[in-house]
Amino acid sequence: MRSPERTPPRTIVEFCAFLRTFGLSIGTGDVLAFTAASAKLEPGRLSDVYWAGRITLARDLGQIALYDKAFSSFFLGVEDGEEQRAAMTAVRGRDSVITVPAGEEMSEGEEEQPSQLGRAAASVTVNRRKSFADCSEEELAQIRRIIKSLRVAPPVRASRRHRGAPKGHRLDLRRMARKTIQNHGDPPRELAWLRRRPKQRPLVLILDISGSMADYSRNLLQFAYSTRRGAGRVEVFCFGTRLTRITNSLKHRDIDAALALAGKEVVDWAGGTQIGASLDTFVRLYARRGMARGAIVVICSDGLDRGDPAMLDRALDRLGRLCHRIVWMNPMKGDSEEDFATASLGMSVALPHTDLLWSGHNLASLEEFAEALPNIR
Amino acid sequence: MPTDTAELNQLLRSGGYLPDRGLTTATYLAITLGRPLLLEGEVGVGKTELAKALASVFDRKLIRLQCYEGIDTSQALYEWDYARQMLQIRAFAEHELTEEDTVDSLFGEKYLLERPLLAAIRAGDRCVLLIDEVDRADDEFEAFLLELLSDFQVTIPEIGTIQAESRPIVVLTSNRTRELHDALKRRCLYHWIDYPTADHEEDIVRTRIPDVSDTLTAKVVAAVNRLRHLDLAKPPGVAETLDWVEALQALGAGDLDQSLAIDSLGSVVKDREDLEIVRKRLGDIVEVA
Repeated sequence: MRSPERTPPRTIVEFCAFLRTFGLSIGTGDVLAFTAASAKLEPGRLSDVYWAGRITLARDLGQIALYDKAFSSFFLGVEDGEEQRAAMTAVRGRDSVITVPAGEEMSEGEEEQPSQLGRAAASVTVNRRKSFADCSEEELAQIRRIIKSLRVAPPVRASRRHRGAPKGHRLDLRRMARKTIQNHGDPPRELAWLRRRPKQRPLVLILDISGSMADYSRNLLQFAYSTRRGAGRVEVFCFGTRLTRITNSLKHRDIDAALALAGKEVVDWAGGTQIGASLDTFVRLYARRGMARGAIVVICSDGLDRGDPAMLDRALDRLGRLCHRIVWMNPMKGDSEEDFATASLGMSVALPHTDLLWSGHNLASLEEFAEALPNIR
Repeated sequence: MPTDTAELNQLLRSGGYLPDRGLTTATYLAITLGRPLLLEGEVGVGKTELAKALASVFDRKLIRLQCYEGIDTSQALYEWDYARQMLQIRAFAEHELTEEDTVDSLFGEKYLLERPLLAAIRAGDRCVLLIDEVDRADDEFEAFLLELLSDFQVTIPEIGTIQAESRPIVVLTSNRTRELHDALKRRCLYHWIDYPTADHEEDIVRTRIPDVSDTLTAKVVAAVNRLRHLDLAKPPGVAETLDWVEALQALGAGDLDQSLAIDSLGSVVKDREDLEIVRKRLGDIVEVA
C-alpha cells in the first residue's frame, strides 16, 4: 500500500519497475513522460496518477488491462495473485505482450541465403508424394526444413503509388518539368510516364488445429513463415472450438510453442470443431475491420464441422465479399481428382464459396501451391 | 489555454462535446505537454469529433489528413505545381534569363502546393491537426509521420527546412485494422475511448439535440445499449444514437415504440444480417412501458 503523497518521482520509478514485471515495455523516456504528465495534474490525487500513467504507458487495449491490475496492486494494495496470473495468461494468448525467447529463430545467414521461388534444392531424400500423415518424425523434420527454404510470394495488385516507366497511364509531370528546365524551356521530345506500382496482396491463413488437422496445419504454419520472409503481410489464425490470432505470438516464439499455446486456448475436446463459428468470429472481429480486404485467405481444414451449416454458409458468403480469393486446403482430398465434396457436409457447404481447392497433404502439393500462389488472379 | 482538466472539460462541453474523465485528462495532457494524442475505440464513439470540437472551442483551423492505402508525401505534405512551372519556363525562355534565376524562382513558394501536413506546420498553434484513420496508411507512411511528429519540421530540398514556430494540437485516430508501430505509439499519448455509460450518453444526446424529450432520449439510449450487447457485426456507436434520435424526431415521435423502431431502424443498424437479428428480438430491445 503506497500513499499517493509520495508519488513523484521515486514512487513513479518504482511503479514503472513494477509495471515491467507485468510485461509492459517501459523505457526511460516513458518514465519521464509519466513524470511530466503527473506533474501537470494534481500529484496528490490518485485518479490523476492513474490516468497520467495509463495515457503515457499503456499502448493498446490489452496493456490497459495489465496496467489496471498493476495499478490496483501497487497503489491500492489489492493483492490477488490468482486473478493477476489469470489476467497475464489471458493477455499472453491474445496479444503477446510477454516476450519468450524463441528457440528456432532463423540465423542471419540462413535468412540471406538465396533461394528460388517454388522447389528447393533436394539435398535430402524425402518422398515428396508421401502424405504427411504417414511420415515419421524425422521425415517431418526434414520436410519442415525444406518448407522453410521455400520462397513464397502472394500475388500482386496495382497499388495507388506510382513509379516512372517508359509507358504508363499518367504523365510524370515532375520529370517533365525537370527535363524542360534542362532543355532551357523546350518540352522534352519523349514523354515521361507513370505506372502504378505493384503491391503484394496480404495473405491470411486460418488453420484448423483440432485433432488430426494439427499436423497438417503445423506444416502450413511453416509455410506462413516462409511467406513472411518474402516481405508480404501475413496474418495467422488458429481455430478449433474457438478462433485465436497468433500472428503476434509467432513474432516472439517458435512455431511449436505458438501452436501449443493456441491449442490450449482454442481446442475444447468436448466441443468438436466449430468451423462456422470460428470463421464468423474472424469475419466479425478482423475481416470487417479491413484485414481481409484484397487478401488471399487460405483456410486449412478437413471440413468436419460440428456447428450449424447455415452459419458456415453465411460466414463464407460474407468473407467472399470482403476478401479477394478464398483458398480451401483440405488434406482429405489427397491426390484424387474426382469430386469429393460429398465427403462431409461442411465441405459441400464451403465449396460454392471457394475459389480454389488444394490438398496440401504432402510436400509436393505445398510446393505446387507455392508456385501457384503468385499467379492467383 | 485551459489551466486544469476541469476548465478543459467545461470548454469542450460548451462546444457540444462531452468527454469523460479519462478523455479529458488525456486531451489536457496532450495540449500541455505538446504531444500528439492517439485515439482508438469502436466505430462511432467520437474520435474524429474530438478534433473538431477542439478546433471549434479554441477557435483554431481544423486541418484534416484522411489516410488511405498508398498515401504518399505528395498527397500528405506538398507537391510542386508542375503545370504552372512549365508555363513559366516557356515565358522565361522567351526572355532569355540565366538558368540560375530561373531555377530559383521556379522552385519558390509560389509554385508550392500545400497539402495538410505542410499546412499544419505552417499554421502551428493556430490549427488542430487531425490525422484520421492512420491504420489505413501503409506502414512506411507511419515512419514518415513519426519523423514529422517528433520535430514538426520538414525539409523541402529546393527551399530548405520549414520549422513549425509553435506546435499544433495533433489528434490521431485508428480503427485497429492493423497494429501501429510501437515507435509511433511511443511518440503519442494513448487513449482508448469506450462506449459512454447510459447517463453520460443521455447527456450527450441532450447537448447535441437540445429540443428532444427526456422520455425519448432515455428510451433510445436504453435500446442502443441493448443493441450493443446483441453481438452484432456492426454495433451502433454514439453517432448512431444521435442519428436515431434525430430520425425519430423528424418522424414526430415523442416516445419510442415497436412500430416506430421498425420504421427508423435503418438509422442505427446498417447491415442486412444485423437487421434480421434485431427485427427478431425487437420486443426485448424496445422496452414496453
